[in-house]
This record gives sequence, C-alpha cells and structure tokens, in this order.
Amino acid sequence: MRMAAWLYLILAFGFIYLPVGTLVLFSFQDGTLPVPPFNGPSLQWYTEVLADDDITAALINSLVVAIGSSAVAVVLGFLAAYGLARHVLPGSAIMRGLLIAPLTVSYLIVGLGLLIVLNRTGIGLSLFTAGIGHVVINLPLAFAIIYASMGAQHENAERAARDLGASEAKVVLLVTAPMLAPTLAAAFFLSVTLSWDEFIIAFLLTRFDITLPVEIWSMLRSGLSPRLNAIGSVVFLISVTAVLILEFTVLRRRRS
Amino acid sequence: MTASVRLNQLNHWFGPFHALRDISLEIEAGEYVTLLGPSGCGKTTLLSVLGGFIEPSQGTVFIADADMTSVAPAKRPTTTMFQDYALFPHMSLRDNVAFGLRMTGVGKAERHRKADDKLDLVGLKADGAKRPHELSGGQRQRVALARALAVEPDVLLLDEPLGALDLKLRRAMQDELKDIQRQVGTTFVHVTHDQEEAMAISDRIVVMNAGRIEDAGPPSRIYREPASLFAADFMGEMNHIPAQVGSAGAQTALTNLPAANLMSGAATVCIRPEAVRQDGKGIGLGDATVRDATFFGAYTRAHVIPTTAPDMVVVAHLPPTSLPETGAVLQLSVLPDDIRIFTKDTA
Amino acid sequence: MNAGTGTKLGWGFVAPALLWTLAFFIVPFLVMGAMSFATLEGRSLVWGLHLDNYIELATRAYLWRAILVSLEITVTVTIVSVVLAYPLAAIIAFRVPPQWQRLALLLAILPFWTSYVVRSYAWLLVLAREGLINQALMNVGLIVEPITLANTRFATVTGFVHFFVMLLTLTIYANLVQLSPNYRRAAADLGANAVQTFRHVILPLTLPGIATGAFLTFVLCIGDYVTPQVLGGNNELTMPQVIMVQLGRRADFPLASALAIVMMAIVTLAYLASARWLRLDRV
Repeated sequence: MRMAAWLYLILAFGFIYLPVGTLVLFSFQDGTLPVPPFNGPSLQWYTEVLADDDITAALINSLVVAIGSSAVAVVLGFLAAYGLARHVLPGSAIMRGLLIAPLTVSYLIVGLGLLIVLNRTGIGLSLFTAGIGHVVINLPLAFAIIYASMGAQHENAERAARDLGASEAKVVLLVTAPMLAPTLAAAFFLSVTLSWDEFIIAFLLTRFDITLPVEIWSMLRSGLSPRLNAIGSVVFLISVTAVLILEFTVLRRRRS
Repeated sequence: MTASVRLNQLNHWFGPFHALRDISLEIEAGEYVTLLGPSGCGKTTLLSVLGGFIEPSQGTVFIADADMTSVAPAKRPTTTMFQDYALFPHMSLRDNVAFGLRMTGVGKAERHRKADDKLDLVGLKADGAKRPHELSGGQRQRVALARALAVEPDVLLLDEPLGALDLKLRRAMQDELKDIQRQVGTTFVHVTHDQEEAMAISDRIVVMNAGRIEDAGPPSRIYREPASLFAADFMGEMNHIPAQVGSAGAQTALTNLPAANLMSGAATVCIRPEAVRQDGKGIGLGDATVRDATFFGAYTRAHVIPTTAPDMVVVAHLPPTSLPETGAVLQLSVLPDDIRIFTKDTA
Repeated sequence: MNAGTGTKLGWGFVAPALLWTLAFFIVPFLVMGAMSFATLEGRSLVWGLHLDNYIELATRAYLWRAILVSLEITVTVTIVSVVLAYPLAAIIAFRVPPQWQRLALLLAILPFWTSYVVRSYAWLLVLAREGLINQALMNVGLIVEPITLANTRFATVTGFVHFFVMLLTLTIYANLVQLSPNYRRAAADLGANAVQTFRHVILPLTLPGIATGAFLTFVLCIGDYVTPQVLGGNNELTMPQVIMVQLGRRADFPLASALAIVMMAIVTLAYLASARWLRLDRV
C-alpha cells in the first residue's frame, strides 16, 4: 500500500511537470524547433524575446492593466464590504448576491457582454476597456475576501475611534484599512495574479495595445517556436518567484 | 469483557524529548484507574501507547497476559474515547454506536439491537435516529462512550473525556461514568489533569510528572500519604515549610518536628491547610497573625503569618463559622499524623 | 450603530461597487440576453423577440453538435480530474509527513502559474507528431510512425485534465486536511481497515468538498476557449469556439449571444443538480 502511494505520487508529479519541463527545457534549444532532439543549451531565444519590443510593450501593458484594475477592485470591494458589514441596510442580502454574481459566470460571457455594449455604443476597444472587464471579474473576489475578514474585533476598534471623535472617513482610513492590511494585500495580490494571466476578456476587449497573454496568442498563430518557450518560461519564472516571495514573507509572518 | 494490563519499563522518545521514563504499572481487571498530571507529563502519550496509536521505543504492554506492544489499534481489545468525541457527523447515533460491530461483520439487525442496548445504557435510548450535531456536548460524550463500549473491549481508554463540560455537568458525568464502569466491569483508564475528578471516580490514581510515575494508589492514600513532593503538591493544597533534618529531628522556623529515619540535610515539611488546627491538639506551631480570611462556603480560608517566621505565609482552613479579622492572632498546632516530611531522596 | 445617518452613509460606501457591477456586468448581461432575441437582416441588427437564433441552435447540426461536444468533453474532464486528483490529495494529506505537506502541495500546483495560454501550447509541444511523446515511443520501438495525438479531443481532454487535477488537488487537500485526525483514529480503533475507513468515514465527509470542486471544474471547463482552440484541431468545435467564430468571421452578435445564454443555462442546471450535495456541509 505504501509503495503504491509513492508510485502514484511520482507518476502524478511526472504528469504535472511534463509540459512545464518540456517548455523550459526547449526554451534553451539551439535550433528552430522546440522538439526533440535537444541541442544546446543556448540563450538565443531569451535574448531575442527580451529584446522584442512588442513583447516588452505587452508585458508593461499587462502590468498596468493588472495593477490598475486590481487597485480599483480592491478599493471598491473594500468600501462595499465596509458598507455592508458595518451598516444595517435593507436588501443587503440581495446586494451581496449581486456583487458576487460575476463569479458564477464564465469570463467569455463577461467579455462578450461588454463587447456587445461597447460595440453598440461605439466606444473603442483599448487597455482601458480590458481593465474594466478585469475589475468586473476581480471585484467579487476582493469583496468576498474582505467581507469575510471584517470581524468583531475590528468593529470594536472602530467604535473606540468614533468614541474618541473621529469622523467616518477618518475611521475608515486610519483604523479599518490599516487593520485589514494583510487581507487587502492578499486580495490585491490575488487580483493581480488573475488579471496578469487572463486571456479571453483581454482578447475580446483590446485592439491595438494588447496584454501579454494576447501577444503570446498571436505568436502562437505563427506555429511552434522556441521563442514561445522562452517567453513562457519567463512568465512562469516571474509568477513563481512572486508566489514564493509571498509564501515565505507574508504567510510566514502570519504564522509566527 | 475485562482484562488486566501490565506495563513494563516503558520508555518513549519523540526525537530528543524523553516523553515516558521507565513506566511500570499493573492494573487489575475491572479497575478504574486515573492517569493524573499536568500538561506535558506524558499521560496522553501513555494512553496512546495503551491504545496502540504509538509503539513505545522501549518496554512492553501486556493486556490479559498477551503481548500487545506492537499490535495495531484495530486488533487490540481496547477502545479509546477521544477528547473531541470524534463522532461521525454523517451517521445517525445508532450507526455511530454500531460502527465497530459493522467492521467485524455483524449483521444489521443484530448490531442495531446491540447499539440500542448501549444507547439505553447511557440514557439515550430514544435518540438512535438523531445526528450528532443535534445533541449537546454532554449527550455527545455519552454517545462516544456507548460507541466505545459497543465492541465490548477489555480496556476502555478515556482521553480527558469531561474537559469540554461545565462544572455541574462534569460532576454528574463523573458519577455516571463510575456507575457504568461498575455495571459493565471493563477496565477503565482515564486521563485527566483535574485532581478532584480523579478523586471522585478512581479506584486508583496514578500521578505522573515529566514522564515518570510519581505515585500510584487509592485516592485517600495518595491524598493523606503522598509518596513524593510533587504528588503532595498536585493533590489539593499544601503548605511547604523548609526544614533541616539533623540529630534533633526536623528543625523549622516554627518548631522542631520528629523525623525518625530520615536523611539528614535540607527537607520540606508538608502540612495540608485543613490539618492546621486552632484547638491546641497535637504539636504546637506557635502563634500566627491573620493576614486575610475569606469565606469559602464549607470552610474559611485564611492566610496567616507565623510570628517566628514573618517571611512565611501559611494557608489554613478554619471552620466556616470562624471569620477572624486581619491582625488577629491565632495559636496553631498540627497532629503528628498529618505531617509529611520530604527529604532529597523522596522529593 | 445608528440606523439613521448610518444607513445613508452605508449606501454611500456600497454604491460605487454596486454601480460598477450594474453598469459593467448586469447591463451588458441583459443586453446580451436581449441580443439573443434579435436577428441580423443583411448587415443590420433588428431588435425584437425573434426566436431565430434559438431555433438555429436546435436545428443546425454544426451548432447543437458543439453543445454536445462541450458537454461530453466537460463531463469526461470532470470525472477524470476528480478520480486522478483525489488520490493525489489524499496521499499528500495522509502519507506525506506533516512538515513537508505544504511544500508537497506547493510543488504539485506550481505549474498552475504558467500562463494559461502557454500551458496549452506546452501540451501541443508534448503531443505533436515531432513532439516528446512520439519521439520517446519511437525511440523505445513501440511505434514506427508518429501517432496523431495533438489536434484531437484526446489532446483537449489531456490539457484540461492537467489544469483541473492541480486545481482539484488543492481544493480536495484543503477539505481532507480539515477533517479531525481523530475520525480516522476512531475508525481504526473500532476495527476498520484503511479501505473501510475511506469508504465509510472519509469519503462521505469529503463529498461536499468534492462536489464543489467538481462543479467548479465543470463551469470553468465548459466556458473555456483557449484549450480546445489550441489542442483540439478543427474537426469538432466546442461552444466557446463556436461563439468566437460567430463573433469573428460573421460578427453575428445575436447568434453568439444565444449560444452564451444556452451555456449559462447549462451551468445553472448543473448547479441545481449538484446543489443537493453542495448543501450537505455539516461537520
């Protein structure tokens, strides 16, 4: 039974790492096809990819959209969570349901809906419209995470602040937000991760300036090439590094 | 069903931590034994060894004269009642209690009948179809007991079973546990840190500290004649009076006490608060000034400062009708039988 | 908390998020719904209550086959992913020493962080005729000619399963680890062997978690465009692919909207069907 378990573990990990391993390995291919046999290693594809202006532009666009839309999502989500958690409002259950609803719908449909509206109203597609779409998908997540973290201990601190004469705005700014800093950071980071990698909404809602996943998609149309391996490995490396940093700093500190 | 338990020279390490040190213990069939001690003393580890969840690094475990040291929990004639009860939330009470029987292949009708019997034993006869979440803490505890007894083990192991209950319920359950144990006759080994609980239910108490057995015996003997300083301290309250044992007996700041056959050198004299008397009987302990006196219902608890030892505070239990003012002077004495002296070799 | 001024202020806080959701989600969704009942006459859009699109969905083979293909693939992927992920999650939760579990889990889901598009591409590399698997099989002598693995339904399913096994391992692990270890101990103590413990205790208690994970898999899989487009070839299309075709080549918003509505309806049905298990959450 023991043996079977470890065998399964090895096979499973083999399956999971097969594509990523192939991707990274053949990004160092000395040749034009990212398939066996492996000649190399060579850094030619990395230098080519990192020097490519389209790719660098797309990378920056991705970052801008990700950070921008995440910031908006977290701020709106935080305000909504604060409003609903701290005030008795009629129909709050319905409002909560509405705010969370986009989570239940496929991204394709979110993008399609926005595309139709933009098309009918004659508004052009851009990074900005893609950002709007990303806020739509990230707002429910940010709201849910923050709402779940607004506990009683925060409420007491806020009451104390009000008791000492702080206005509502000051309470939110100086007491609530700082106390929720880890949660806000987590929501922000999650949103950035999702937005950074998001394809279909960005694909539908951008036109000239595109994000990295969309750029990679158009590169894909030209066939198999180690260039894709290289950029894919770079994206992977960036994401993994961010996650590992998060794991070993924020999460470690919370545990101690 | 019941059986005796014999533990021989048990030692266990968790990495470098020596959790059980030279544990040797004999439990008679049908005894109710309590493992008593503070957190980290090894009592739960010992229970796990008995239950088969831990195989000891050294030593042997015999149950009914059969070597069970390496036998898995499923195959041992023991069952454990866990601290959080671990009732299966997705099964009815009846199915919970019948679970062990089902695992051994007992047919549905018969195991349901036996399960209902056990639920009746713990006073939950009509509730067989309910789910655990519908019950209170005390009721869940009873179901856990019924489930453990349903497989008719030789030894029942209870891991701090009453910890989650409030005081009144705990006292009631202590009586019930004792009752049920008498009825079924199974050997019960019960882990607790509550010495009152231990005294209420045990035939014998095993006091543990830092992996060792400090003392083992009936509650009355352990209370009145504790074998070590730790055991003396752990059971109830104790006054510690430093002493020097020499040719003239045990010399303390209050008075000299007889100390036959004791090792010379530093020692501790232990006297229970309720053994400190005001009626002059026994050995005189001199005068003492009352620092404060609080009414405790069955007695008055007073902190007194002996005149001959102003740095010492002695706790005395006075009759409840007596409530002396701060500053009052009392004359203290103690009967020789109520004195315990612990030297370096018995501490 | 005073209800008077508090309420007005409360509205003030919630309003921005609500307005955003309304403007950029609810309204577009409603417009899309209305669009599904519109029709194209030549190149101009005619609103109204036309059922043309839905009729076309039901009658044109190209369209309802796409619905069928999506369902077949999604159900297959869901079942295979759950069956493969559960043992992996269980091994990490129960066999890996506790101090290594977090690391093992992290390693198991690390490839999650390759870009979604890139990961499908990577599978294309592996499954291509000149790719890793064919080369390996030929080197070992098992086959003489490369077999077509890419641009098939097999490739699509593999690509999906790869993604969802990681996702489900995470969710099922979280579920398993929440179970008090005393449940297993109690079962063992009462005489159950490993199989019995799993069947009678662990599986029933983790069923809600599995149901949630399976539902998530179903929803994400049926709505995905990238994986079938990269790996599936053009012999059979899924619903998202057909939607994109309607958008691209033909700019047929009404038909695309109708398809999208149907996709949502299927997801809603799936939710209602599985709600029974999802609601059983009680520990």
